[in-house]
Amino acid sequence: MVRSGAMTTPTSVYSSVRYECIAAAEGVGLADRSHLGRLKVSGADATDLLNRLSTNKLDDLAVGDVQGTVLTTNKGRIIDLLYVLRQDDHLLVITGPETRKRVAEWIDFYTFIEDVKVEDVSEETAMFSLIYDKVTTALPQLAEVPLYGSADITIGDVDALALRTDFAGYESYDLIAPLEQAPELWDALVEDIGMCPVGSSALEFMRISNGVAGYGSELTEDYNPLEAELIDFISFNKGCYIGQEVVARLNTYDKVQKHLVRLSWDGDEGPDLPAALLLEGRQVGTLTSSTRLFNGDGCIGIGYLRKAYIQDGARLLTEDGLAVTVEGIVRPGKA
Amino acid sequence: MARVRPEPLTITITSDAAEHVRQFAADMGKPDCNLRVAVKGGGCSGLTYDLDLVDAPGDNDKVISSHGLELYVDKKSYIFLAGTELDYSGGLNGKGFVFNNPNAKTSCGCGTSFSV
Repeated sequence: MVRSGAMTTPTSVYSSVRYECIAAAEGVGLADRSHLGRLKVSGADATDLLNRLSTNKLDDLAVGDVQGTVLTTNKGRIIDLLYVLRQDDHLLVITGPETRKRVAEWIDFYTFIEDVKVEDVSEETAMFSLIYDKVTTALPQLAEVPLYGSADITIGDVDALALRTDFAGYESYDLIAPLEQAPELWDALVEDIGMCPVGSSALEFMRISNGVAGYGSELTEDYNPLEAELIDFISFNKGCYIGQEVVARLNTYDKVQKHLVRLSWDGDEGPDLPAALLLEGRQVGTLTSSTRLFNGDGCIGIGYLRKAYIQDGARLLTEDGLAVTVEGIVRPGKA
Repeated sequence: MARVRPEPLTITITSDAAEHVRQFAADMGKPDCNLRVAVKGGGCSGLTYDLDLVDAPGDNDKVISSHGLELYVDKKSYIFLAGTELDYSGGLNGKGFVFNNPNAKTSCGCGTSFSV
Protein backbone atom coordinates (compact mmCIF):
# COMPACT_ATOMS: atom_id res chain seq x y z
CA MET A 1 0.00 0.00 0.00
CA VAL A 2 1.12 3.56 -0.66
CA ARG A 3 0.28 6.08 2.01
CA SER A 4 -0.24 9.41 0.30
CA GLY A 5 -1.40 11.91 2.86
CA ALA A 6 -4.90 11.07 3.91
CA MET A 7 -5.56 8.47 1.21
CA THR A 8 -4.13 4.99 1.03
CA THR A 9 -3.86 3.63 -2.49
CA PRO A 10 -3.11 -0.04 -3.19
CA THR A 11 0.31 -0.35 -4.90
CA SER A 12 -1.17 -2.96 -7.23
CA VAL A 13 -2.94 -0.22 -9.19
CA TYR A 14 0.39 1.10 -10.44
CA SER A 15 2.54 -0.43 -13.18
CA SER A 16 5.65 1.20 -14.65
CA VAL A 17 6.61 4.79 -15.33
CA ARG A 18 6.75 4.00 -19.05
CA TYR A 19 3.32 2.36 -19.11
CA GLU A 20 1.71 5.00 -16.92
CA CYS A 21 3.04 7.89 -18.99
CA ILE A 22 1.97 6.31 -22.28
CA ALA A 23 -1.44 5.29 -20.91
CA ALA A 24 -1.96 8.75 -19.48
CA ALA A 25 -1.03 10.34 -22.81
CA GLU A 26 -3.45 8.12 -24.66
CA GLY A 27 -6.23 8.49 -22.13
CA VAL A 28 -6.36 10.22 -18.78
CA GLY A 29 -3.83 9.87 -15.97
CA LEU A 30 -5.15 9.74 -12.42
CA ALA A 31 -2.81 10.66 -9.56
CA ASP A 32 -3.44 10.59 -5.83
CA ARG A 33 -2.06 13.90 -4.56
CA SER A 34 -3.74 13.75 -1.16
CA HIS A 35 -0.33 14.31 0.42
CA LEU A 36 -0.51 18.02 -0.52
CA GLY A 37 -1.79 20.28 2.25
CA ARG A 38 -5.28 21.76 2.24
CA LEU A 39 -6.01 24.66 4.57
CA LYS A 40 -9.38 26.31 5.06
CA VAL A 41 -8.74 29.99 5.78
CA SER A 42 -11.83 31.89 6.91
CA GLY A 43 -12.76 35.20 8.50
CA ALA A 44 -13.52 38.69 7.24
CA ASP A 45 -9.83 39.53 6.79
CA ALA A 46 -8.63 36.24 5.26
CA THR A 47 -8.25 37.51 1.69
CA ASP A 48 -6.69 40.81 2.75
CA LEU A 49 -4.14 39.06 4.94
CA LEU A 50 -3.10 36.49 2.33
CA ASN A 51 -2.88 39.31 -0.20
CA ARG A 52 -0.43 41.08 2.11
CA LEU A 53 1.66 37.94 2.66
CA SER A 54 2.10 36.56 -0.87
CA THR A 55 3.17 37.61 -4.35
CA ASN A 56 0.00 37.52 -6.43
CA LYS A 57 -3.11 39.68 -6.38
CA LEU A 58 -5.84 37.89 -4.46
CA ASP A 59 -8.19 40.67 -3.45
CA ASP A 60 -10.12 40.65 -6.71
CA LEU A 61 -10.80 36.91 -6.86
CA ALA A 62 -14.45 36.07 -7.54
CA VAL A 63 -16.08 33.06 -5.90
CA GLY A 64 -14.79 29.99 -7.74
CA ASP A 65 -11.56 31.61 -8.98
CA VAL A 66 -8.20 29.98 -8.31
CA GLN A 67 -4.92 31.87 -8.12
CA GLY A 68 -1.34 30.69 -7.76
CA THR A 69 0.68 32.82 -5.36
CA VAL A 70 4.02 32.47 -3.64
CA LEU A 71 4.55 32.89 0.08
CA THR A 72 7.93 34.59 0.41
CA THR A 73 10.23 35.61 3.24
CA ASN A 74 11.17 39.26 3.69
CA LYS A 75 14.26 38.42 1.63
CA GLY A 76 12.03 37.30 -1.23
CA ARG A 77 12.82 33.58 -0.80
CA ILE A 78 10.21 30.89 -1.45
CA ILE A 79 8.39 29.45 1.54
CA ASP A 80 5.75 27.74 -0.56
CA LEU A 81 3.77 27.95 -3.77
CA LEU A 82 0.08 28.13 -2.87
CA TYR A 83 -3.03 27.67 -4.95
CA VAL A 84 -5.83 29.75 -3.44
CA LEU A 85 -9.46 28.98 -4.29
CA ARG A 86 -12.05 31.51 -3.22
CA GLN A 87 -15.26 29.89 -2.00
CA ASP A 88 -18.42 31.47 -0.60
CA ASP A 89 -17.26 31.95 2.97
CA HIS A 90 -13.61 30.94 3.04
CA LEU A 91 -10.44 30.40 1.03
CA LEU A 92 -9.18 26.91 0.31
CA VAL A 93 -5.39 27.03 0.22
CA ILE A 94 -3.44 24.15 -1.33
CA THR A 95 0.13 23.93 -0.02
CA GLY A 96 3.14 21.75 -0.68
CA PRO A 97 3.30 18.29 0.90
CA GLU A 98 5.69 19.16 3.72
CA THR A 99 4.78 22.77 4.28
CA ARG A 100 1.16 22.90 5.41
CA LYS A 101 2.11 23.28 9.08
CA ARG A 102 4.62 26.01 8.30
CA VAL A 103 2.13 27.86 6.11
CA ALA A 104 -0.54 27.67 8.85
CA GLU A 105 1.97 28.94 11.42
CA TRP A 106 3.14 31.69 9.06
CA ILE A 107 -0.43 32.95 8.61
CA ASP A 108 -1.03 32.70 12.36
CA PHE A 109 2.16 34.63 13.16
CA TYR A 110 1.06 37.54 10.98
CA THR A 111 -2.49 37.57 12.32
CA PHE A 112 -2.76 40.36 14.89
CA ILE A 113 -6.18 41.92 15.28
CA GLU A 114 -7.48 40.53 12.00
CA ASP A 115 -10.44 38.17 11.81
CA VAL A 116 -8.68 35.13 10.34
CA LYS A 117 -8.98 31.44 11.20
CA VAL A 118 -6.90 28.61 9.71
CA GLU A 119 -8.06 24.98 9.78
CA ASP A 120 -6.03 22.13 8.37
CA VAL A 121 -8.52 19.96 6.45
CA SER A 122 -5.86 17.82 4.74
CA GLU A 123 -6.77 14.72 6.75
CA GLU A 124 -10.50 15.14 6.13
CA THR A 125 -10.28 15.24 2.35
CA ALA A 126 -8.67 13.39 -0.53
CA MET A 127 -7.23 15.04 -3.64
CA PHE A 128 -7.08 13.21 -6.95
CA SER A 129 -5.55 14.79 -10.04
CA LEU A 130 -6.61 14.16 -13.62
CA ILE A 131 -3.92 14.74 -16.21
CA TYR A 132 -3.81 15.17 -19.98
CA ASP A 133 -5.87 16.58 -22.75
CA LYS A 134 -8.58 13.92 -22.90
CA VAL A 135 -9.83 14.74 -19.40
CA THR A 136 -12.79 16.69 -20.68
CA THR A 137 -13.73 13.89 -23.09
CA ALA A 138 -13.78 11.46 -20.19
CA LEU A 139 -15.52 13.91 -17.86
CA PRO A 140 -17.51 16.42 -19.95
CA GLN A 141 -18.54 18.22 -16.74
CA LEU A 142 -15.02 19.67 -16.63
CA ALA A 143 -15.22 21.24 -20.09
CA GLU A 144 -16.65 24.44 -18.61
CA VAL A 145 -13.89 24.80 -16.01
CA PRO A 146 -11.35 27.35 -17.25
CA LEU A 147 -7.70 27.43 -16.25
CA TYR A 148 -7.66 28.81 -12.68
CA GLY A 149 -11.36 28.14 -12.32
CA SER A 150 -13.36 25.61 -10.33
CA ALA A 151 -16.73 23.88 -10.23
CA ASP A 152 -18.77 21.55 -8.03
CA ILE A 153 -19.25 18.28 -9.88
CA THR A 154 -20.75 14.88 -9.14
CA ILE A 155 -19.09 11.64 -10.19
CA GLY A 156 -21.17 8.58 -9.44
CA ASP A 157 -22.61 9.36 -6.04
CA VAL A 158 -19.69 11.52 -4.94
CA ASP A 159 -19.82 15.31 -4.83
CA ALA A 160 -16.38 16.75 -5.49
CA LEU A 161 -14.79 20.13 -5.92
CA ALA A 162 -12.90 20.38 -9.22
CA LEU A 163 -10.24 22.99 -9.91
CA ARG A 164 -7.92 23.42 -12.86
CA THR A 165 -4.33 24.54 -12.42
CA ASP A 166 -2.36 22.58 -15.07
CA PHE A 167 0.10 21.93 -12.28
CA ALA A 168 2.37 19.46 -14.12
CA GLY A 169 2.64 21.39 -17.35
CA TYR A 170 -0.25 19.49 -18.94
CA GLU A 171 -3.95 20.24 -18.82
CA SER A 172 -4.77 18.98 -15.36
CA TYR A 173 -7.51 19.17 -12.78
CA ASP A 174 -7.69 18.40 -9.08
CA LEU A 175 -10.73 16.77 -7.50
CA ILE A 176 -11.20 17.30 -3.77
CA ALA A 177 -13.74 15.12 -1.96
CA PRO A 178 -14.50 13.99 1.60
CA LEU A 179 -12.03 11.32 2.71
CA GLU A 180 -14.74 8.75 3.46
CA GLN A 181 -15.89 8.92 -0.16
CA ALA A 182 -12.39 8.76 -1.65
CA PRO A 183 -12.40 4.98 -2.39
CA GLU A 184 -15.74 5.30 -4.16
CA LEU A 185 -14.50 8.25 -6.20
CA TRP A 186 -11.25 6.45 -7.12
CA ASP A 187 -13.16 3.35 -8.21
CA ALA A 188 -15.56 5.41 -10.31
CA LEU A 189 -12.66 7.19 -12.06
CA VAL A 190 -10.68 4.00 -12.72
CA GLU A 191 -13.34 1.36 -13.28
CA ASP A 192 -16.28 3.31 -14.67
CA ILE A 193 -14.43 6.01 -16.63
CA GLY A 194 -11.23 4.09 -17.38
CA MET A 195 -8.59 6.48 -16.12
CA CYS A 196 -5.04 5.19 -15.71
CA PRO A 197 -3.52 5.42 -12.20
CA VAL A 198 -0.25 7.32 -12.30
CA GLY A 199 2.25 6.90 -9.46
CA SER A 200 4.57 9.48 -7.98
CA SER A 201 7.53 8.43 -10.19
CA ALA A 202 5.53 8.93 -13.39
CA LEU A 203 4.19 12.22 -12.06
CA GLU A 204 7.78 13.32 -11.37
CA PHE A 205 8.76 12.27 -14.89
CA MET A 206 5.98 14.43 -16.35
CA ARG A 207 6.89 17.39 -14.15
CA ILE A 208 10.61 17.26 -14.89
CA SER A 209 10.17 16.67 -18.61
CA ASN A 210 7.92 19.75 -18.70
CA GLY A 211 10.47 21.79 -16.76
CA VAL A 212 8.15 22.60 -13.88
CA ALA A 213 9.54 23.55 -10.46
CA GLY A 214 8.56 21.04 -7.77
CA TYR A 215 7.85 21.20 -4.07
CA GLY A 216 10.87 20.40 -1.92
CA SER A 217 13.33 20.41 -4.83
CA GLU A 218 13.12 23.74 -6.67
CA LEU A 219 10.51 25.45 -4.49
CA THR A 220 12.63 25.97 -1.38
CA GLU A 221 13.95 28.86 0.65
CA ASP A 222 17.24 28.66 -1.27
CA TYR A 223 15.58 30.34 -4.26
CA ASN A 224 13.30 33.21 -5.16
CA PRO A 225 10.17 33.01 -7.36
CA LEU A 226 11.86 34.71 -10.32
CA GLU A 227 14.62 32.11 -10.33
CA ALA A 228 11.96 29.38 -10.15
CA GLU A 229 10.24 30.89 -13.24
CA LEU A 230 7.09 31.69 -11.28
CA ILE A 231 6.75 35.19 -12.73
CA ASP A 232 3.16 34.39 -13.76
CA PHE A 233 2.34 34.19 -10.06
CA ILE A 234 3.75 37.62 -9.19
CA SER A 235 1.80 40.86 -9.38
CA PHE A 236 4.11 43.83 -9.88
CA ASN A 237 1.47 46.48 -9.31
CA LYS A 238 -0.64 45.25 -6.40
CA GLY A 239 1.40 46.99 -3.70
CA CYS A 240 3.38 45.67 -0.76
CA TYR A 241 3.67 42.07 0.38
CA ILE A 242 6.38 40.40 2.38
CA GLY A 243 9.45 40.21 0.18
CA GLN A 244 8.04 42.60 -2.44
CA GLU A 245 10.91 45.07 -2.30
CA VAL A 246 13.48 42.37 -3.10
CA VAL A 247 11.41 40.67 -5.80
CA ALA A 248 10.56 43.97 -7.50
CA ARG A 249 14.19 45.14 -7.44
CA LEU A 250 15.45 41.86 -8.92
CA ASN A 251 12.94 42.16 -11.74
CA THR A 252 13.25 45.89 -12.41
CA TYR A 253 17.03 45.95 -12.54
CA ASP A 254 17.36 42.53 -14.21
CA LYS A 255 19.31 41.24 -11.22
CA VAL A 256 18.05 37.65 -11.20
CA GLN A 257 21.28 35.71 -10.80
CA LYS A 258 20.20 32.25 -11.88
CA HIS A 259 17.47 30.51 -13.80
CA LEU A 260 15.89 27.10 -13.97
CA VAL A 261 17.32 25.09 -16.86
CA ARG A 262 16.79 21.70 -18.45
CA LEU A 263 19.69 19.28 -18.23
CA SER A 264 20.50 15.84 -19.62
CA TRP A 265 23.18 13.18 -19.26
CA ASP A 266 24.01 9.65 -20.33
CA GLY A 267 23.54 6.63 -18.09
CA ASP A 268 20.81 5.16 -15.94
CA GLU A 269 21.32 7.17 -12.79
CA GLY A 270 21.90 10.66 -11.55
CA PRO A 271 23.84 11.94 -8.56
CA ASP A 272 22.39 12.41 -5.08
CA LEU A 273 20.34 15.60 -5.05
CA PRO A 274 20.88 18.47 -4.82
CA ALA A 275 24.15 18.16 -6.75
CA ALA A 276 26.61 20.94 -7.48
CA LEU A 277 27.24 21.65 -11.17
CA LEU A 278 30.81 22.66 -11.88
CA LEU A 279 32.60 24.44 -14.69
CA GLU A 280 36.39 24.31 -14.51
CA GLY A 281 36.13 23.29 -10.88
CA ARG A 282 33.89 26.18 -9.85
CA GLN A 283 30.23 25.76 -8.89
CA VAL A 284 27.98 27.52 -11.38
CA GLY A 285 24.70 25.76 -10.67
CA THR A 286 22.78 23.04 -8.83
CA LEU A 287 20.96 20.01 -10.19
CA THR A 288 17.74 19.76 -8.15
CA SER A 289 15.52 17.13 -9.86
CA SER A 290 16.28 14.15 -12.07
CA THR A 291 14.50 11.24 -13.73
CA ARG A 292 15.42 8.44 -16.09
CA LEU A 293 14.13 8.47 -19.66
CA PHE A 294 12.11 5.31 -20.14
CA ASN A 295 13.38 4.79 -23.70
CA GLY A 296 16.86 4.10 -22.30
CA ASP A 297 18.41 7.26 -23.70
CA GLY A 298 19.83 8.47 -20.42
CA CYS A 299 18.45 10.87 -17.82
CA ILE A 300 16.99 14.35 -17.74
CA GLY A 301 16.80 16.86 -14.97
CA ILE A 302 16.21 20.45 -14.05
CA GLY A 303 18.32 22.70 -11.92
CA TYR A 304 19.43 26.24 -11.27
CA LEU A 305 22.28 27.69 -13.31
CA ARG A 306 23.93 31.09 -13.02
CA LYS A 307 22.76 33.33 -15.83
CA ALA A 308 26.22 33.91 -17.28
CA TYR A 309 26.65 30.18 -17.93
CA ILE A 310 23.29 29.44 -19.57
CA GLN A 311 24.15 28.29 -23.05
CA ASP A 312 22.45 25.45 -24.89
CA GLY A 313 24.81 22.51 -25.25
CA ALA A 314 27.23 23.71 -22.55
CA ARG A 315 28.85 20.83 -20.63
CA LEU A 316 29.11 20.87 -16.86
CA LEU A 317 30.40 18.31 -14.38
CA THR A 318 29.04 17.05 -11.09
CA GLU A 319 31.48 16.45 -8.22
CA ASP A 320 31.40 12.72 -9.15
CA GLY A 321 32.57 13.56 -12.66
CA LEU A 322 29.22 13.04 -14.40
CA ALA A 323 29.02 15.13 -17.60
CA VAL A 324 25.75 17.08 -17.77
CA THR A 325 24.53 18.98 -20.84
CA VAL A 326 22.56 22.22 -20.61
CA GLU A 327 19.41 21.92 -22.72
CA GLY A 328 18.10 25.48 -22.28
CA ILE A 329 16.08 27.56 -19.93
CA VAL A 330 12.63 26.29 -18.88
CA ARG A 331 9.61 28.32 -19.83
CA PRO A 332 7.95 30.38 -17.10
CA GLY A 333 5.71 27.73 -15.63
CA LYS A 334 3.70 26.44 -12.76
CA ALA A 335 4.15 23.69 -10.25
CA MET B 1 22.26 49.30 48.42
CA ALA B 2 18.77 49.66 47.00
CA ARG B 3 18.16 47.83 43.76
CA VAL B 4 17.25 50.09 40.88
CA ARG B 5 14.30 48.64 39.00
CA PRO B 6 14.48 49.27 35.29
CA GLU B 7 11.65 51.26 33.79
CA PRO B 8 9.12 48.86 32.28
CA LEU B 9 9.10 49.02 28.50
CA THR B 10 6.11 50.94 27.35
CA ILE B 11 4.94 52.85 24.31
CA THR B 12 5.14 56.61 24.34
CA ILE B 13 3.98 59.41 22.11
CA THR B 14 5.75 62.75 21.85
CA SER B 15 3.81 65.92 22.61
CA ASP B 16 4.13 66.96 18.95
CA ALA B 17 2.68 63.65 17.72
CA ALA B 18 -0.10 63.79 20.33
CA GLU B 19 -1.01 67.27 19.16
CA HIS B 20 -1.22 66.10 15.57
CA VAL B 21 -3.43 63.15 16.59
CA ARG B 22 -5.78 65.58 18.35
CA GLN B 23 -5.78 67.80 15.28
CA PHE B 24 -6.62 64.87 12.99
CA ALA B 25 -9.37 63.74 15.38
CA ALA B 26 -10.87 67.25 15.42
CA ASP B 27 -10.68 67.49 11.62
CA MET B 28 -12.55 64.18 11.36
CA GLY B 29 -15.22 65.35 13.78
CA LYS B 30 -14.11 62.89 16.45
CA PRO B 31 -12.46 65.11 19.08
CA ASP B 32 -12.97 62.58 21.89
CA CYS B 33 -11.37 59.65 20.12
CA ASN B 34 -8.18 57.98 21.24
CA LEU B 35 -5.50 56.20 19.27
CA ARG B 36 -5.24 52.51 18.45
CA VAL B 37 -1.62 51.58 17.70
CA ALA B 38 -1.18 48.19 16.09
CA VAL B 39 1.08 45.99 13.99
CA LYS B 40 -0.16 44.21 10.88
CA GLY B 41 1.38 41.48 8.81
CA GLY B 42 2.56 42.64 5.40
CA GLY B 43 4.72 45.33 3.87
CA CYS B 44 8.01 44.45 2.23
CA SER B 45 9.75 43.56 5.49
CA GLY B 46 6.93 41.57 7.06
CA LEU B 47 5.32 43.87 9.60
CA THR B 48 3.69 47.27 9.19
CA TYR B 49 2.38 49.86 11.62
CA ASP B 50 -1.28 50.73 11.79
CA LEU B 51 -2.89 53.76 13.44
CA ASP B 52 -6.61 54.26 13.89
CA LEU B 53 -8.85 56.64 15.81
CA VAL B 54 -11.25 54.65 17.99
CA ASP B 55 -13.80 55.35 20.72
CA ALA B 56 -12.81 52.67 23.21
CA PRO B 57 -10.21 49.96 23.81
CA GLY B 58 -10.75 46.33 22.87
CA ASP B 59 -11.34 43.75 25.61
CA ASN B 60 -7.71 42.71 25.97
CA ASP B 61 -6.00 45.93 24.95
CA LYS B 62 -3.31 47.59 26.99
CA VAL B 63 -4.24 51.19 27.70
CA ILE B 64 -1.34 53.65 27.94
CA SER B 65 -1.82 57.33 28.81
CA SER B 66 0.63 59.78 27.37
CA HIS B 67 0.41 63.54 26.76
CA GLY B 68 -3.32 63.58 27.35
CA LEU B 69 -4.06 60.77 24.91
CA GLU B 70 -4.88 57.15 25.53
CA LEU B 71 -3.08 54.63 23.33
CA TYR B 72 -4.82 51.27 22.88
CA VAL B 73 -2.53 48.39 21.97
CA ASP B 74 -3.53 44.75 21.53
CA LYS B 75 -1.29 42.29 23.34
CA LYS B 76 0.30 40.70 20.29
CA SER B 77 1.15 44.06 18.75
CA TYR B 78 2.58 45.17 22.10
CA ILE B 79 5.23 42.44 21.89
CA PHE B 80 6.59 44.08 18.73
CA LEU B 81 6.08 47.66 19.90
CA ALA B 82 7.37 47.66 23.51
CA GLY B 83 9.76 50.58 23.92
CA THR B 84 8.51 52.39 20.83
CA GLU B 85 8.22 56.16 20.70
CA LEU B 86 5.66 57.55 18.29
CA ASP B 87 6.87 60.87 16.94
CA TYR B 88 5.75 63.25 14.23
CA SER B 89 7.97 64.52 11.44
CA GLY B 90 6.38 67.64 9.95
CA GLY B 91 7.28 70.19 7.32
CA LEU B 92 7.59 69.92 3.56
CA ASN B 93 10.01 67.00 3.76
CA GLY B 94 8.47 65.39 6.83
CA LYS B 95 7.35 61.81 6.94
CA GLY B 96 4.27 62.26 9.14
CA PHE B 97 4.01 59.83 12.05
CA VAL B 98 7.29 58.05 12.71
CA PHE B 99 7.78 54.93 14.84
CA ASN B 100 11.09 54.83 16.67
CA ASN B 101 10.92 51.13 17.45
CA PRO B 102 13.92 49.54 19.18
CA ASN B 103 12.67 46.06 18.19
CA ALA B 104 12.92 46.75 14.46
CA LYS B 105 16.07 45.13 13.08
CA THR B 106 15.47 46.04 9.46
CA SER B 107 13.13 48.34 7.60
CA CYS B 108 12.12 48.47 3.97
CA GLY B 109 13.27 51.28 1.69
CA CYS B 110 10.20 53.42 2.19
CA GLY B 111 10.33 52.88 5.96
CA THR B 112 6.75 51.75 6.37
CA SER B 113 7.48 48.14 7.26
CA PHE B 114 9.95 46.41 9.50
CA SER B 115 11.14 43.03 10.69
CA VAL B 116 12.27 41.91 14.14
